[in-house]
Parts: sequence; structure tokens; C-alpha cells
Amino acid sequence: MHYLTFIGRRLLHIVPVLIGISLVSFLLVMLVPGDPVRLVLGPRATDDAVAAMREAWGLDRSLLSQYLTYVGNVVQGNLGDSLKYRLPVWDLIAQYLPRTAFLIGYVLAMTVPVTVLLAVTAARREGDWPDQVIRLLSVLGMTIPVFWLAVIFARLFGIQLGWFPVSGYGEGFLGHLHHLFLPAVSTSLWLAPVLTRNLRGALVQQMDADYVAACRAKGLPERLIFRRHILPNSVLPTLNLLGVMIAFLIGGSVVVEIVYAVPGLGALMIGAVLGRDYFVIQGLTLVYALVTVLVTLVIDLLTAAIDPRTVG
Amino acid sequence: MSVISIRNLSVTFPGDAGPVQAVKDVSFDLEEGEILGIVGESGSGKSVTCRAMLGLLPRRATLGGRILHHGQDLTQPAAMQAARGRDIAMIFQNPASHLDPLMTIGDQVAEPLIFHFGMSRAEARAEALKLLDAVQIRDAAGRMSAYPHQLSGGMKQRVLIATALACRPKLLLADEPTTALDVTVQAEILALLKTLNRERNLTMALVSHDLGVIAEICHRVIVMRQGEIVESGRLRDLVHAPKHDYTRLLITSQPGRLPQMTDQRPDSAPLIELRDLSLHFPGKGDKVVRAVDGVSLSVRQGECLAIVGESGSGKSTVARAVIGLNAPTGGDILYEGRSVVGLKGEALTAFRRKVQMVFQSPFDSLNPRMSIQRTIAEPLWRHGLATKAEAMDRALELMDMVELPRSLAGRRPGMLSGGQCQRVGIARALALSPRVLIADEVTSALDVTIQAQILKLLTRLRKEQDLTVIYISHDLTVVRKFCDRVAVFRTGQLVESGTTAEVYADPKAAYTRDLIAAAPDLDQALAGVT
Repeated sequence: MHYLTFIGRRLLHIVPVLIGISLVSFLLVMLVPGDPVRLVLGPRATDDAVAAMREAWGLDRSLLSQYLTYVGNVVQGNLGDSLKYRLPVWDLIAQYLPRTAFLIGYVLAMTVPVTVLLAVTAARREGDWPDQVIRLLSVLGMTIPVFWLAVIFARLFGIQLGWFPVSGYGEGFLGHLHHLFLPAVSTSLWLAPVLTRNLRGALVQQMDADYVAACRAKGLPERLIFRRHILPNSVLPTLNLLGVMIAFLIGGSVVVEIVYAVPGLGALMIGAVLGRDYFVIQGLTLVYALVTVLVTLVIDLLTAAIDPRTVG
Repeated sequence: MSVISIRNLSVTFPGDAGPVQAVKDVSFDLEEGEILGIVGESGSGKSVTCRAMLGLLPRRATLGGRILHHGQDLTQPAAMQAARGRDIAMIFQNPASHLDPLMTIGDQVAEPLIFHFGMSRAEARAEALKLLDAVQIRDAAGRMSAYPHQLSGGMKQRVLIATALACRPKLLLADEPTTALDVTVQAEILALLKTLNRERNLTMALVSHDLGVIAEICHRVIVMRQGEIVESGRLRDLVHAPKHDYTRLLITSQPGRLPQMTDQRPDSAPLIELRDLSLHFPGKGDKVVRAVDGVSLSVRQGECLAIVGESGSGKSTVARAVIGLNAPTGGDILYEGRSVVGLKGEALTAFRRKVQMVFQSPFDSLNPRMSIQRTIAEPLWRHGLATKAEAMDRALELMDMVELPRSLAGRRPGMLSGGQCQRVGIARALALSPRVLIADEVTSALDVTIQAQILKLLTRLRKEQDLTVIYISHDLTVVRKFCDRVAVFRTGQLVESGTTAEVYADPKAAYTRDLIAAAPDLDQALAGVT
């Protein structure tokens, strides 16, 4: 029961956030220098034509009424049309989003098991050579820039060895796995160390906790104590960091998507920014914000499911 | 028959300046059915000895000697693993941190049963329920699926006791099991341990810094100091004829045996008055936490007023309100007849100079990177009352006043003992020549012998500086010796107030009677032991 009320309260918190997001994404286009109508019709359009279009688009109405119209449209899934592709923005996003989502899922599937394995190994052998090696590799992984790694991988495994394609998204599930392997590895090599360091730190801290001594006093063997007590108590900070990282990856996948020519949200965003495709930028801003809100929500609900103290 | 025999036990830890021997050549036996008290101050090796008996020392510790239990030497890991949790169990000082916050109470109690006896989860939980009943947890069935944070401190300790009893051990080690608890709860837990000892013939070793607690339930006692056993024997014999100087010091430092330090003077004018003071905070949901609720109280010029109460009684919140750290939500605070609520700027600074505070934790309330001379001098030049050079000179005088040798002036808090740090805290508070000193649990983190010294110091300073002291404490025995008047708080309300002599001799409120009865006192406990 408590958990359900917690979910309810947590969902209520989203409402003001959503209003804020809609305001920002709405004002984004309003505050752009220059007149979007002029941009569409070109500099040589007559004043009458501009006025007609302004009226047609409702730009002559008050800001509030425009905002309400905008929110109404967004709720119905209408994000406007791309100026460049002459397609509904929603259709574009629906086409590009799954690829980025697939890439992020792929990255997580690679990163999470490796992170847990490395962090547990390092923590259990704290100070010994496996710990030292893992810590050294972590620092290395975090310091190498993703774009550089991506370029090197593309050259080595893509062009010289020819093991993996260096561009595109591929056909079918296996095709996706094959095509996105290098982009996913490049991202994982940076993400895994960040998470590993975080989880190892938490594990080492929890291993000294008083309740661990109490478990030993009960006569429980070390393995059981680790699995049942130390690990669940350690994952919470890392889980929250993971949430932040996923939200970051949605927007931050740009680099690998460009290097490996993956037609995902990042690529769409770059194209839209360069082509001043305002409604696509607006739509993407909205989607990025909503996904971030969603990821945070999921992480919070997971945290609450693990830790009864959050529910209160 | 001995349940456990310790022979020439020594424990060594690696330290920065070579190995440190925490326990030196300690030998003793625990006979079946007895409760052995191990008493000593911080660093005496009492907890290390206790933890060694269950193999709970950190890996870097090296163990010497033998721990014999039914012919097995428990210093061998295999023998220890076989006995741990089954034959020997343990409870700890801080029950809150010794329970896994993510697991239900029922599962935590059931865990050793599943592991040691191979019970199914359902069987183990049924047994756990019986155990929770046995340690007198009310509504045990309802508590099975509760998490530790939903229970009070005393409840958590009962859960730990239930867990320890799960596999019907022969020996229970208790490491300061009541130190983190309120006095009334402490009395209940000690009574429970006594019952378990009688009904189950459970042998116990009780480690404590408090002779009063030891006297309540122990048959025999070992006094430890600096890793060695100084003296051992029946408590009564020990108290009546201590053989060792340290034992004598420990006994004379017991709060109940301290000389009377109160200062009966004619009723003077009130210096600070609380009028219908309330501090309410928003709590969970729509609830309001009434931390202080409608308290009227006056502090007279030159007296020492004790504010006593258990955790959550609002005693510290009152103090924080007086020095303006928390704003009252109702009522008024008067200083020399003028309201000090909502003072700002110059007026607030001037008021705070008059009322200074000393805090509970001697280390945490000092800046670890600042020399103690600077620490004491800082308020003087920060308040613009002296140049930095003058302030530094004055700091040395203040160090003399609190009996700190001047040779310590350049040291940092980390290089001082707890008692010395608390003297620094007092000197810093006195730097601004305040009229009122608020002492918030200033001795509760200190050893009894140090506590006795600090109380003596405060008594001297009171007379010399004509200080008015507000002494916040949970320790009724100290209050009885040290304070002129006492105000008893419970859940934010003033239960009773009066001169210490009156209140102790004839407590009006039932709660005050409970508090006084629950306070462990060496002599009363000895008088009760047959």
C-alpha cells in the first residue's frame, strides 16, 4: 500500500516538471532571432503573403493562446512539420528514436554485467593486484575520449580487419547487433569505468558496515553476506548514477552516431541544428526532456522498490 | 564448567609508529550460567577482547594465545566458523547500524536458522516470531514484515537479541548493548538480559564503560586498562576493597560517588525566561512535529539549571532556540527582561556574545586543521574585541583557566584526547566572557574519569566567572550532583521542574519517578544485589 501511495506522489511531482518542459520548448522557437515565417517563405515574399501565413499559423494571437494551442497539439502528438523534410516532426522522431534506443540498450547490455563483475572483483580483493589492475584500467577508460576511440576502432576493426561495418544501422535484430557493435563498445568503454568506480567504492564502504559484522556474528558465510546484504546495499548509488548516464546518453550519443553514421536521434539533431529546422529542434528538445523525466522516474521507483526507507 | 577459557590472549594492530598491542596477555574463564562484566574506558581493550571471542576483528589484527571452547581453539578459523552464531552469539552497541536496512525484521531473525539448522523459510519465520515474542516485542506478528527504520532504538536492540538467541547459543557476548539507548529503555533491556540469563541459563559477557550498568546484572567483573586486566572478582568485593589504584579511581569517578557540586544560593532574579515557547516543525505528510510545545521556564542569574530528558524530548531544541539557531514558532524568549526572538545584526551578535555553547562531540565541534590556540582566539578577533595578537595571548590565559598545559597551544584537535578537546571547547566558549554557558551533553562522549574532571572544572569556572549554566543531559546521576535546579522534559513538554534536591527526593510526575528509578547507579545496584 505504502509503495502505491509513493508512486502516486512521485507521479504528481512530474506535473510541474512537464509544465516547465512545455514552456521551455515553446519559448525556444519564440525566442529564436528572426521570423520563422520569413524563413519559410524566403526573403522575397510579399508582406501580404507573410501576414496571411502569420494568421494561418496563429502567430498574430497572444502568447498565452499560442502556448495553449501548442500544448493542445503536443498532447495530440502533433509537433509541427519539419521545414526541411516537409514531414511531421513526430514521424521523423518515431523513425529515428528506435535506433538510438537500440544503441543505448546495447550499451547497457554490455556495460552492466561487466561493471558488476569488475566492481565485485575489485572490492573483494581490495588493495590486491586485481583491484589495482581494474582501477588502472578504469582511469584509462575514462580518460580516452569517445570520439577518438570511435575513429580508431572504425579504422582498425572496420576498415583494416573488416570485422564490423563502420556505418549504418543494418537489417533485422542481428544486423543491428552487428552494425552497432563498434559504436556500443566505444561508448561502453567509457561508461563501464565510471560505473565500476562508483560501485566498487560503495561495495568497499558497505563491507565495513556494522550490519556486516552482525551477519558474521550470526555465523553466515562471507559469500552469502556479500550476495544478500552487501550487494543490495551498494547498488543504490550506482543505480542513480546509471539513470543520469542513460539520460545523458540519449543526448550524448551524437558523437558515436556521427562517427559511425548511425541514423539516430543525434544525427537528426545535428542535421536540424545545421539546417535551422526549428520545429525538429523543438520536438527533439521535448523528447529529450520527456525521456529524461521517464528514466528518472523509473530509477526512483526501482530505488524505492529496493530501499524501504525511501517510501517512508 | 567453563563455557569459554581465554588463555594469554593478545591482539596487535599495525600502527603508523609500529605495532600497537590492544590486548596484552589476557586470561579469564566464563563459567556456565554466569554474567561476567568487562569494564574499562576507551582504549582499554575490552571491546577488542569481546570481538576476538567471535573472530570479528579486522584482518590486519594479529591474534596470540588461545580461546578454548569445548576443547576447540577458536583462534583457528574452522573452529570459529563452526561455533559462531550457533554456540556463541553477540549483540552490539548501536542496534540501528547493526541491522540490514533493506531486509525485514522477520527475515533477519530467521536468517541464522535457515543457515545453521537448514530450516525452510516458513519454518524459520515461524520460529522467528516466537523469538520476537520471547524478547517482549509487542505485536511481534505485525513487526515481522517491518523494516529496521520503522522501529525504535530499544526495539532494534530486542531484534538483535532475538537474532542472537535464534540458534540457542550457550554464550552471549554483549558489547555496550545499552550505551546508545535512553535510560528507561536501558533498564528494560538489562532486565531482559537478566531474565534470559535466569530462564535459559545463558552465559553472558557484558562489556561496558559504565560500572552502574555492570552492577545491575553482573555476577563477576573484570577491570581492564590499556589492554591488561587490572583486577577481577565479585563486584561487591571490588568496590569495597579495590586493590588497584585505577579501580579506585574508576569507582570514585562514578557520578553517584562524586562530591555534591551544587551551589545553593538565595533565589536570584531570572536571567533568561521562556514564555510558552513552542517550536513546531513540518513532519511527514501533514503531520507537525512538536519538538517543543508550550514550555515556560526561567533560568536564574548564577544558577546551574539542568534540562534532562530522553532522545526526542526537545531538550537540545530548547537550547538551540535560546541561542537563536532555531526560530520559535510560538511564545517568547526573554533575556534580562527583553525579548531576543528575531534579533538581527548587531543586536544578535551582542546577545550571542553573552550566551555561549559547548557541544557534545569534542572532536567534531573543533576545526581539525586549526591549532587549538587559534581555535580559542578566533571568536575574540572575529567579534572585533581584540587584535589577533591580543587574542592569541588571551587564548593562552584561557588555556590556563581550563587547565590545559600551554605546551599544547600549537597542536591540532587530532593530537589531543577527548577530554582535552572538550576543555578547548569550553575555553573557546569562555573567550567572549559570556554570562551564560549552555553545555549540551558535554560529558556524554567522555570516559567517567574524564567526566569527573570536566565537571570539577565547570564547577570551579562557575564560581570564578559567575556563570549561569544550562546543563543539558540525559544522565540523572550527574545532574543530581552538579545542578541546582532541574527541568524534566518529555516529548517537547516540561514535565516537572524544581530544585534538584526536591525533585529527586519527591518527584511529582510519574515520568520523573521512572527516569530516576531507571538511572543505573553503582551503590543502589550494590545495595540491591544479594
